[in-house]
Amino acid sequence: MRANTPSLNHKAVSMTAGIGILCVVSAAAQPAIQQPNLARGAIIAAQGVAGRAPACAQCHAYNGASDGSGAFPRIAGQSAYYLAKELRDYASGLRANAVMAPIAKALSADDAADVAAYYASIKAPYLPLSSADPVLISRGKQLARIGDAAKELQSCNNCHGPGGVGELPAIPYLAGQYEHYIAFQLTMWQRGFRNNSPDAMADIAKRLDAHDIAAVAAYYQQVDASVLAATQPTK
Amino acid sequence: MAQRLKHVDVVTIGVGLTGSLTALELARAGLKVVGLERGAPRFTVPDFQSPAIHDELRFSIRKAMMQDNVKEAVTFRNSSDETALPIRRWASFLPGTGLGGSFVHWNGQTFRFQAADFIYKSHIEQRYGKKILDPDLTIQDWGVTYGELEPHYDRFEYLLGTSGKAGNIKGAIQPGGNPLEAPRAREYPTPPMKEPYFGALFRKGAESLGYHPYPQPSSNLSQPYTNPEGLALQQCVFCGFCERYACEHYAKASPQTVILPVLLKNPNYELRTNSQVLRINLDSTGKKATGVTYADSTGREFEQPADLVLLTAFPLNNVRMLLLSGIGTPYDPKTGKGVVGRNYTYQTTGGATVFMDESINVNPFMASGANGTMIDDFSGDNFDHARLGFIGGQYIGAIMTGGRPIEFHPTPEGTPRWGLKWKQAVARNYNHAVLVQQHGTSTASRLNYLSLDPTYRDAWGLPLLRMTFDFPENDIRMSQYIADKVVEIGRAMGAKSVTRGGTKRPYNTTVYQSTHNCGGAVMGDDPKTSVVNRYLQCWDVPNVFSIGGSAFPQNGTYNYTGTIGALTYWALDAIKNQYLKAPGPLVHA
Amino acid sequence: MTDLTRRFMLKATGAIGASLVSAGACVAAATAQESDASSSGAVRAAPNAQLTTYLFLNSDEAAFVEAAVARLIPEDDQWPGALTAGVPNYIDKQLAGAWGVGERLYRSGPWRPGTPAQGYQLPFTPAELFRTSIDAINKELAQAGTPFSTMSSEQQDAYLARLETGGKDLGGVPSNVFFEHLWECTIEGFFSDPVYGGNRDMVAWRMIGFPGAYASYYDLVDQHGIKINRAPMSIGEGPHGGMHLNPDIPAKLP
Repeated sequence: MRANTPSLNHKAVSMTAGIGILCVVSAAAQPAIQQPNLARGAIIAAQGVAGRAPACAQCHAYNGASDGSGAFPRIAGQSAYYLAKELRDYASGLRANAVMAPIAKALSADDAADVAAYYASIKAPYLPLSSADPVLISRGKQLARIGDAAKELQSCNNCHGPGGVGELPAIPYLAGQYEHYIAFQLTMWQRGFRNNSPDAMADIAKRLDAHDIAAVAAYYQQVDASVLAATQPTK
Repeated sequence: MAQRLKHVDVVTIGVGLTGSLTALELARAGLKVVGLERGAPRFTVPDFQSPAIHDELRFSIRKAMMQDNVKEAVTFRNSSDETALPIRRWASFLPGTGLGGSFVHWNGQTFRFQAADFIYKSHIEQRYGKKILDPDLTIQDWGVTYGELEPHYDRFEYLLGTSGKAGNIKGAIQPGGNPLEAPRAREYPTPPMKEPYFGALFRKGAESLGYHPYPQPSSNLSQPYTNPEGLALQQCVFCGFCERYACEHYAKASPQTVILPVLLKNPNYELRTNSQVLRINLDSTGKKATGVTYADSTGREFEQPADLVLLTAFPLNNVRMLLLSGIGTPYDPKTGKGVVGRNYTYQTTGGATVFMDESINVNPFMASGANGTMIDDFSGDNFDHARLGFIGGQYIGAIMTGGRPIEFHPTPEGTPRWGLKWKQAVARNYNHAVLVQQHGTSTASRLNYLSLDPTYRDAWGLPLLRMTFDFPENDIRMSQYIADKVVEIGRAMGAKSVTRGGTKRPYNTTVYQSTHNCGGAVMGDDPKTSVVNRYLQCWDVPNVFSIGGSAFPQNGTYNYTGTIGALTYWALDAIKNQYLKAPGPLVHA
Repeated sequence: MTDLTRRFMLKATGAIGASLVSAGACVAAATAQESDASSSGAVRAAPNAQLTTYLFLNSDEAAFVEAAVARLIPEDDQWPGALTAGVPNYIDKQLAGAWGVGERLYRSGPWRPGTPAQGYQLPFTPAELFRTSIDAINKELAQAGTPFSTMSSEQQDAYLARLETGGKDLGGVPSNVFFEHLWECTIEGFFSDPVYGGNRDMVAWRMIGFPGAYASYYDLVDQHGIKINRAPMSIGEGPHGGMHLNPDIPAKLP
C-alpha cells in the first residue's frame, strides 16, 4: 500500500477533529461549548503550573515526541480526548502511576483539556531508532493486521485503526509509539496492574505471550517508517 | 453412482447452531458423528476481521453470507390460487450458508418464549373461548411446556454467555429486568449491555406511559466470559455491523466462538464442508433412514450410511429435506390432510421512525445487534384481548443495530423520495432519528404452508421449496393495534414527528422483515397435526430427528434463536438418555 | 466541510454532463457553460477527482447516467452530490463486474410476470437491464431532439419522475423497474465504501457523520449525545490517509 503523505494527511485532518469539539449534549438543554485553549496548553506543557505541576516537556518533550526511550510515551498528535481521559484516570487513581498521579491531580479540568489539546495538535517527527529483528516485526504485523486464530486473538487494527493510527476520539494511536512503552503497558494489563480501560485490553493482553508482546511493540514502533519507505517512488 | 462411505453412528445435515450443539453431545457420548455442511469453512481469524468485514455493500446489500440464489432459491406465492415464482434475490428473509450457519451473522438477540406460548391453543381457548379465533387459524400446543424447557434455556444462555438482567427469578420479580418474563432459575451469565442513547430515550418515553422497559438480552457480550466449554468470549464494542456480518472480536456468540474449537478437536467428530446433502435415504419399508446422499464441491455424490440422521439445517431447509426424501405425508391445503409443510409461520414485524430534535445526537452507528431497550407490555398474551378481536402481540423497543447508510437514511413523512430536498433531509435527520420496532407473533393458518415447487429447480436439479404465505388477518389487526401504541411512545419520547408502522397485506418478499421462518415440520402430540413428536423425532421415521425452528407450531413474540437452542438441548436429552438406550419411537401416539 | 465543497459551485441551470465524458472518448466541443466554467472555475462537477474511466457504459450511456444521478442526488453549496461522489463510476464498475452479470440472481425460467409481492421476474441481468433501458431512453430522446443531458434540470426531474411512475416500456424493461435499479445503485454509489469507486473522499459519510469501516465504540456508546467529529475511515484507508484504489493516482490532485 502506498500513500502520499504531504497533502490529504489523514492525521492532520483527524488531529483537527481530535482537538475536538466534543461536547456532551443533554437532551434538555444546549450548554455552552468550551473550546480548549491551545496557547495556554503550550504554556502548561513548557512551564508546568507554578507550584503544582512540573512541565510536561521535561519528560514528554515540548513536541510530545519524548526521548524515544519508551520510558515516557510519545504523545504528539495523540487524541486529545484520550490524553484528557488518561489524566483524569491518573488523578482519580483508576490508572495507577506514581509519577503521573500527582501531576494529574495538580491540573484542573481546564488545564488538562488545554494541554491535551496542545499535544494533540502537534505533528512531531519520528525519532531515528534502531529497528528490531525483522522476524519479530513480521509476527507483530500479523497480529496487528490479521490476529492469531489459535490464540483466539483478533487483529489489533480492528480497534486501533489502519496501521494503528487510532480511532478518534477514544482509541489511541499505536503507530510510532515506543516499543518499550507498548510492551510495558501490555504487560501491565496482562498482570492486572493497569485497570483503566475496558475489559477488552486486559483480556487481550492475557492471550499474548512475551514474544507476542515484543512483536506488536516492535511492529508498531516502526510502522510509520516502513510505510514511508514503501511509499518512495520506484521510478 | 454414489460412492458408499464407511458407516457412522450419526450424521448431521448442516453445521450451524443445532448441528454443532448436537454433534458435540453425541461425540462425547462415544458416537462417531459426521457433520455435513454445504458451505465453506470460516473462522473468526482470519475470515471475520475488520475493516474488510465492515463492508455494508458486500454483506448487507449483496448478502455475501447468504445462500446463493444461483444455486438454491425458494419460490413464493401469497396464496394457493397463484403460481409461485422464484425469489430471484433475497430480500424479506436471508437464509445463510457456511460453517456456523445463520448463527454467525445473526444479531445476538436471545429471548425465551412465554409459558403460554407452548400451550397456546389451550391457553387462548381457555381464556377467551374458541370464538376469538378466525376460522382459518390452526394454532396448536407444542407438546412440551416452558417448565420442561427452562433448564435447557438456562444451559443455552450459559453456553453463549448471554448478557441481560433477570426480571423474574423463580417467581420473585427483580428490579431492572423484565417483570413480564417467564420465570427463570437464575441470573443471566453476564450483566446487560450498556444502554445507548436511543434506548435511554425510549426508556423515558415508555416509563412516562406506565410501561416496563428492560434491557434486551444480548449474546454480543457485555464483558469477557469463559463458557462451560472453556472458550473465552470477549466484549462487544458496539461496532454497528452485526446482523448479516460476522464478529471480528469473538464477542458475538456463534458456533465459532462457543463450541466449534472444542467440537473440532473431538476425535469422534468429523466435519465435512462443501457437502450438499441431496436426500435422506430410506430403506424399503420407508420407515427407517439408512443415511444420506450428498454431493461434494466437485459434484461427486457420496452415500453416507448412518444409524441416526439429525436434520439440523435452517428451518426452511429442514422441511425441504423431508419433502425431498419422502418422509411424512406432505400437507395438502385443499383436503387439510398431511403434515409436512403445514403450519408455516413467520414473524410479524414493523416499526416507526421517531424524528428527534437536531440537538439530540443519536449516534446510531454505535450499536450492537442486541442492545435495545424494550417493553413486553404488549407481547403475546400479556394484555387482555377479550374485546380486541385478535390474538397475539408484539414487543416494542428502540432496537437500533447500526447506522449503516445504504440501509439507514431516514427522512420524515412528506420528504420527496429523491432530489435536493431528499438529500438535505437525510443530512439533517441521519443522526437524530430513532427506530422503534414492533416485533411479534405469527399465527398459524391452514392457508400458509411449504411444499415442493412443480417447476423450478436448484443447481442439483432438485425441486425448490415453495412457500405459500400471507399474513393472517388476525395478525394484521394485531399489528395495527400495536402500531398506535408505538406512535404514542414515540410522542412521549419528545419526537418532532413519528412515522407510523404496522403490517399490511399482502406479504411482500421484496422488503426485509425477518429471517425467522418457522414451522413446516411442527412438533406436537398428535401425528395428524405434527411431523415430529415432542422430542423432535419424526413420527414416520424414528431414526430421523428434525431440530430447529421448523418445529414451532406457530411463532411467538420473540426472535427464536433462544428457543431453538433450548429445544435442541431438550431433544438431545431425549436422544442420549432414551433413544440411544432403546432406539425406536419415543412416543407412542 | 471539505476542500471539495469550497472549490465547488454549481450553476443552478444547465447540464453538467459534457465535461465528464469518458477519458477515452472525445471531449465534447466547448459549450457556453464550459467556457463559463473555465473562466469562473466554478462549474466543474467533479473537482478534485480524476475523470472516470468507463469499462461498461459507452459515452452516450455515461452521459445519461451522469446527468440522471446529478438530479437524483444533486450538488448544493452545503454538500456535494452524486456526481462529485463518483456515483457514475460506482455504477459503471458494478455493471462491469459480477453483480452486473447476475451473481446471486436466480436466472432460470420459465419467466412469468409476477405480483409485486413476488419481486423481480425479468430475465435481464443488471447489466442487460441498464443497457436496454438507457439505450431505449437515449433513442427516444434523440428522436425527440432533446437528449437527456441537454434538458434543463426541471425537465430532467420531470422525465425521471415519469420513469419512476412507470407505464413506459424501455425495450422490455418497465420504466419503474429501471428507475428503482438506478435509484438503488445511486444510493449505493453514494453511501458505500469508497473502495467500490463511489463516495469519493467519503463525502457522503462526512455529510451525515458516519465514521466508516473502523468502528469500535465501547467507551463512547454510553456518552449519550456526544458529537463525534472524526474524519471517516474507509476499508481502503492507509495509515496516512488517502485512498489506495490506484497507487499511481495521487490522493489529491495538485
